[in-house]
Amino acid sequence: MNILELHGVTKQFGGLVAVSAVDLEVPQGSIFSVIGPNGAGKTTLFNCISGFYRPEAGRIIFDGVSLVGLRPDQIAALGIARTYQNIRLFGRMTAIENILVGQHSRLKSGLAGALFRLPRTRREEQEALDKAHQLLDFVGLSGYGDMFAHNLPYGQQRRLELARALASEPRLLLLDEPAAGMNPRETEELMAFIRRIRDELHLTILLIEHDMRVVMGISDIVAVLDFGEKICEGTPQEVRCNPRVIEAYLGKGVA
Amino acid sequence: MGLRTGIRTGLIAAIVTIFLILIGVHMLMGRLLQSWFYVPAHWPGVWLMVVLLGLWAGSRAVGQMKARSWGNALLAGASAGIIQGALAGAALYLLASITQAGVDLRAWLTQMSQESIAALTLGLAPLPAAGFIGGVLLVSALAGAAWREWRLRVHAARLARGERTVSLRERLLEIPAVAQVSSNPLSRRVLMGVFMVLLLIAPFFLGQYWNYNLGTVGIYVILGLGLNIVVGMAGLLDLGYVAFFAVGAYTMALLTAPQPHHIQMSFWLALPIGVLLAAIAGILLGIPVLRMRGDYLAIVTLGFGEIIRILSKSDVLTGFTGGPRGVRNVGHPVLFGKDIGNEFYFFYFILIGVILAIIITRRLEHSRVGRAWRAMREDEKVAQAMGIYTLKYKLMAFAMGAAMAGFSGAIFASRNSFTGPEDFVLLVSINVLALVIVGGMGSIPGVILGAFVLKGLPEILRELEDYRVLVFGALLVVMMIVRPQGLWPASRPQLERPRPEEEALEEAPAELVEGEVGS
Repeated sequence: MNILELHGVTKQFGGLVAVSAVDLEVPQGSIFSVIGPNGAGKTTLFNCISGFYRPEAGRIIFDGVSLVGLRPDQIAALGIARTYQNIRLFGRMTAIENILVGQHSRLKSGLAGALFRLPRTRREEQEALDKAHQLLDFVGLSGYGDMFAHNLPYGQQRRLELARALASEPRLLLLDEPAAGMNPRETEELMAFIRRIRDELHLTILLIEHDMRVVMGISDIVAVLDFGEKICEGTPQEVRCNPRVIEAYLGKGVA
Repeated sequence: MGLRTGIRTGLIAAIVTIFLILIGVHMLMGRLLQSWFYVPAHWPGVWLMVVLLGLWAGSRAVGQMKARSWGNALLAGASAGIIQGALAGAALYLLASITQAGVDLRAWLTQMSQESIAALTLGLAPLPAAGFIGGVLLVSALAGAAWREWRLRVHAARLARGERTVSLRERLLEIPAVAQVSSNPLSRRVLMGVFMVLLLIAPFFLGQYWNYNLGTVGIYVILGLGLNIVVGMAGLLDLGYVAFFAVGAYTMALLTAPQPHHIQMSFWLALPIGVLLAAIAGILLGIPVLRMRGDYLAIVTLGFGEIIRILSKSDVLTGFTGGPRGVRNVGHPVLFGKDIGNEFYFFYFILIGVILAIIITRRLEHSRVGRAWRAMREDEKVAQAMGIYTLKYKLMAFAMGAAMAGFSGAIFASRNSFTGPEDFVLLVSINVLALVIVGGMGSIPGVILGAFVLKGLPEILRELEDYRVLVFGALLVVMMIVRPQGLWPASRPQLERPRPEEEALEEAPAELVEGEVGS
């Protein structure tokens, strides 16, 4: 069963076609990677899925619901969470507060609940805090919970961003170049961690990466974008040997 | 190196010195010393200012240098002092000669009276007088340079010995009694209780004037806490905040005053209506500006604030709002048949308002709503991706902030028994924003402190008369350079569970090791 389906998704910026008639079928529980050289339209595709861009044409269907035209917050509430290529944490909030914000769409209390300290609100807040502690432990950040996010070292910020995304209990996790700025060993650890997330939390992961070596080990399916078009899709093995992929990465004449 | 820094600093110091003399600050210092410390004459204050300016020039020149050497320091101090002294001396020579020739400088420079110049010449002829002030400045600059060089050396030596500099807060906590009080929740509560009791009995002793002023400070605390929600938490720069203050005040005025409408509603009924209308105004303003941020939002809200003020005094609406003359005889609160509309009772009334505003802010700050606001302030796009419907939360922030402004506006109008367009000038918005920034954005004690400094200090500075605003402006500028985060910045919430001691110790190193062994 596919949790996410894209049919002919096209996004233009003026005359530039950033994403051109892309089809994707992401099976439930898979780790699906979208790779491609810089400027291939990967992040644009993410922004279409998470609702920041509205595609000019095509359909995006998440678990039977069409996402086109929904606001980003509505899409988040449906169970899609994301991280960013250049880490975007809430800098002047503590690590725990970042995770609590991540739980926003799972919590209900509003103005009245907060102002009158209703029992329901207090219970909800306590549970949210408990869950934040669990997530902090899960990504290995215990002891850093009360630090401002912008004071954390780079590696910890990456993990905190993951914890914040997981806090919304997503069914689909979009990761935008999670290994950016990491050395090979850190990258390998991260990939093992991503697989652990999938296995333990039973969710589907859609991963963007421009370095194709990074994702080969963990991906079930790899799709390759170049100049906004999907040029091939298949298992890592199939993709690696595809002449068009080699051409896109290394240039004409090498293949 | 030392020479160039010295000359540059000397030039700046000379300009400052001449400027201060021209606007008569030396006479002000003289009179202040006379009245505050019972100094018999005004010349000690005058020359204290001159010496301080010299010390500052020398000290600044040394502070600007990177290389440390006594020779360089004295060279910098001497060159700064010579430049400053020579230019200031030349200026005094000119002023003294012109005055001696019988020209009254007050036609152009209002503070340049005979007396003012005589305080600097000390009765000497222009030339020796110029030499004297130059000499004083030179000597003070040398002393300032030597002092600064010594301080810097002491500081460097301390760093070399591995002692780190400690903040005032840490030093205070080293005192056992202070540490005990600050760590024990019970003693903190007792301290708060004592403070509350002091506040409660204060109006009995303070008298009309200070009760009124403290009430004004309180009104500004409520305004500040309201704006703090909009600017400090939600990150929406609102420069038209006074508009909601005006809505609250006019609602109270028009509903309770005999003119221009004969409604004469009870104060107690008009108050919630004022708060409600202000909140609605907040939402109405919010809707068109929802998609704006930063500078654009600031400009549009600024315009909105002015529109409200201009509308309130426009000819078209004179019949409805009372026009430029405002509304008189605004109703007072009446309790058990007793008019409690004087400074004394309003003090308590405002105190209750302040406490309410503090409770509201505290409860919101660390709730789901407050977190959503702060997330929006940090990164609106990401907040949206976290499931926060930013339009809704922006409107909520505007409405909350406006409601608090409406409350203080209603009380303000009733306390003054009057309200008019001139109560709602742009300066009110700027003042409230300034007190939030000076106090510390997003911090409740910061806002309270900021209100005291911004509304209380000008009252204390009243003796400075015309210079009040100048001194106040200078203090604000210095404050923003020295302490940009505000007087009492917001503290981080401590939400992580305290863990058993040894576990916490093991946790952190394991964290760091993991990265190395992991692969």
